[in-house]
Amino acid sequence: MSNAYLTYAAKRLGQAVVVILLAYIFTFVVVSILPGDPVTSVLRNPQNGFTEEEIAEIIAAQGLDKPIIVQLWNALSGFLTGDLGMSMRSNRPVSTLIAEVLPSTLILASAGLAVALVLAMLVAYGTRFVPKKYGQGLLRGFPSLFLSVPNFVIGLMLIHIFGFQLGLFRVINPDSFWATLFAAIALGIPVSAQIAEVLIANLDREAEQEYAAVARSRGIGQARLFATHLLKPASLPVVTVVALTIGELLGGSLITETVFGRTGIGSLVQRSVSTQDLPVLQAVVSLGAVVFVLVNLIADLLYPLLDPRVKIIGGRKRSPTTADETAIGATKAVTP
Amino acid sequence: MTERSSLLSFSRRRLLVGASIAAALAVTTTAGFNPALAADSPRDGGDITFLIDSLGDTWIPNNSAISSFQGHIWGHVTDKLLYVDAEGKVSPWLVERWEQNDGATEFTLHLKNGVTFSDGEPLDAAAVVANLDIWYAGRKNEGINPIGLFPKTYDHAEAVDTATVKVFFKKPTLGFIPTLGYHGSILISPKSIAQPASEQADLSKTAGSGPYVVESWKEGDHVTLVKRKDYNWGPAAVGHTGPAFLDTITYKLVSEPSLRVASVQSGQADVAYNASPQELKSLKEEGFTVATPRYLGFVNGWAVNTKLPPYDDVKVRQALQAGINRQEIIDTVYTPDWHLATSFIQSNVPGATDQSALLAYDPAKAEKLLDEAGWTKGANGIRAKDGKQLTLTLHSNPYLATSKSVDELIAQQLGKLGWKVDIRAYDVVTYGEKVKYGGPAIPTYEVTRSFIDAGTVAGILTNANNGENWFALDDRDTVLNGLRDKIAGAASAEERNPLLDELQHYVLEQGYFVPRTQIVQRIYVQSPTLKGEVYNGVAYASYYTAFIAD
Repeated sequence: MSNAYLTYAAKRLGQAVVVILLAYIFTFVVVSILPGDPVTSVLRNPQNGFTEEEIAEIIAAQGLDKPIIVQLWNALSGFLTGDLGMSMRSNRPVSTLIAEVLPSTLILASAGLAVALVLAMLVAYGTRFVPKKYGQGLLRGFPSLFLSVPNFVIGLMLIHIFGFQLGLFRVINPDSFWATLFAAIALGIPVSAQIAEVLIANLDREAEQEYAAVARSRGIGQARLFATHLLKPASLPVVTVVALTIGELLGGSLITETVFGRTGIGSLVQRSVSTQDLPVLQAVVSLGAVVFVLVNLIADLLYPLLDPRVKIIGGRKRSPTTADETAIGATKAVTP
Repeated sequence: MTERSSLLSFSRRRLLVGASIAAALAVTTTAGFNPALAADSPRDGGDITFLIDSLGDTWIPNNSAISSFQGHIWGHVTDKLLYVDAEGKVSPWLVERWEQNDGATEFTLHLKNGVTFSDGEPLDAAAVVANLDIWYAGRKNEGINPIGLFPKTYDHAEAVDTATVKVFFKKPTLGFIPTLGYHGSILISPKSIAQPASEQADLSKTAGSGPYVVESWKEGDHVTLVKRKDYNWGPAAVGHTGPAFLDTITYKLVSEPSLRVASVQSGQADVAYNASPQELKSLKEEGFTVATPRYLGFVNGWAVNTKLPPYDDVKVRQALQAGINRQEIIDTVYTPDWHLATSFIQSNVPGATDQSALLAYDPAKAEKLLDEAGWTKGANGIRAKDGKQLTLTLHSNPYLATSKSVDELIAQQLGKLGWKVDIRAYDVVTYGEKVKYGGPAIPTYEVTRSFIDAGTVAGILTNANNGENWFALDDRDTVLNGLRDKIAGAASAEERNPLLDELQHYVLEQGYFVPRTQIVQRIYVQSPTLKGEVYNGVAYASYYTAFIAD
């Protein structure tokens, strides 16, 4: 590996750490300036019958009346040593809470990504090889359609049709195979749009290349042309787009989990936001930032290795290929 | 009311006799309020699913026992020293009998023998002392709160022998005995109590002595309870003392109300909690069991801030009292399952008296009072005085789903009399921060609050002994303070009941408290095959006695 590559990797890693720290501090500030916290709201439940003096005494006993900067310092020093702290709402370790719900979200997000990839591939294939009279042009409109229908609408429709009408899954048992599959479809449809858009644009470009014309003139079939010749060069830019959709998958899983009643990171965030459970929110936001930054870092670091044409010059990635520019243009086009 | 209050009398002789026969009496009366038991014979086995909108926040027993959600689980996993039924009647449970001294400052509790917690620890006198101590004091620096409504006059408790506990108070505390049947007073194994807060917050690590134990749970998702086969100490008042009938109960979180009801309708679940009142009529017609039990406590209504003009004027408060059409609230927002308020405490509370005359809808009287107070109607129909409009800002209570609908109806009713009513709705967190009794911009605070003993009421209303000063009167009202002191010092129910009647009349007549309706905070929609459940004094459903009919 070249020296330039290592410098590049170190620089990107440094940036990643800064992004994660900023996300942590930003969450702290935003949640802290809002009035209220989970401990006081439990104490203020009228059923409990505590007086203002008693509430103040209990708050003080737990050190929640300390200045914000002291609380931030305590939280941050814990975070840097790997201690995520205790949930103020449930009084349990934040790491336990996250470990409890993470598997459900990972299953949903990876199934959602798989659905998105398959769907994007089908749509892209269709736009090249479905005869015009069977709606090739229509297929080109699918990504825009997928992107403009909110995923909770898709989710509610799927629940209504497949859960209630056809009875394929029980609504109160959201972790079953069918319920998970439909949740993944609801999550995957909007995500597939961006991938499909980039894939279509690059397929169009590759199909006009001379090697494609040569392959066609040798008389190979459409499916084989797609699979062995066009797909590989066209999907290189897709790596970047897939890395960017991780954010979409994490954000979308929050909504999808709520709609389908799954208990994952999304529902943990929802409960924590509604009670302003700061330690949990900080941990989840930081975790999200870590995942997002890491995945994009991996994609960036993989890129020069996958495509020899991408050069690292002075620690910066240069992408001289036109294919890459098209990819970025396409991403901008579909991301408002 | 008189026959109820006689059951709550605490003279020593009567209690000794009363407690020993209460068990037998209770068995015979059970059939009266629980016809399902008489109709079908219970059979063993079966699993039920209870759909609930939330499972609350923490599971630290002290911090969660009064929450409206976790209480469902605690009611099955833990026992209490005494049982309080839906009519406020106190009967023996793990305490078989009790005595008190004449001044109501010392109580002796005699425990049932052979009761164990699910971790194997005995439920003996030492365990009861450990529980009383943590209810009173909590462990504040660890984040374990005291039980807010446990008598603050508690001094200490001693284990006389393994089955006898003596409890000492600094002042007369007649409310102690009923408090033992309140939802906060759940008995937890001393081993669990000794655990740090983070362990107590793990529901599976807390052991109680109840008919069910926690089999599995996942936060924000479900709690599954499985029956304890050696359980043999149920409260005699529910007519059954052995192991429960149903094998398991699963509390499953479904936040969407229509989804909960639809799941019960389609047979995917057995009970849906907190359905909307508007749906109840059609659900009943479809054959589902609908229960709207009332808890013992204050009615839903307003504590009026007497410091904030114009509500410092008794005539304006009285106009408010007469200007609300309470029957219309029941007809419009609720169903006939709801009851008209007859006082500021629910009519099933022992000691509650009928003050309906003070709560009659009389718009003419209200207009006359406002005229007398100098508030004259302007061209736009809104009354004004010295250039200021007659305004009322309502803050809908987020703990009661129907609160805002009632506010909207009352705004129309008062609007006709010349009031300008604004409604504000906050989420729970913001509400807790901004809306307080007697707050500077809070003319009325909407009350939703349960209690077990009416004797604690006067203390809450005033500012004495950490009272909550609901009407912001401080020390200004000597009549109210006099009543409070007499009620606090009363050593028997006979002595106390006339004082309670006087208190209710005075508070309503002065317009300090403006009732809306008697409160139903828990609504249950249940499959017709599930039978035999019992509702206690805080309106929690217990499935200890329930079974699935063929």
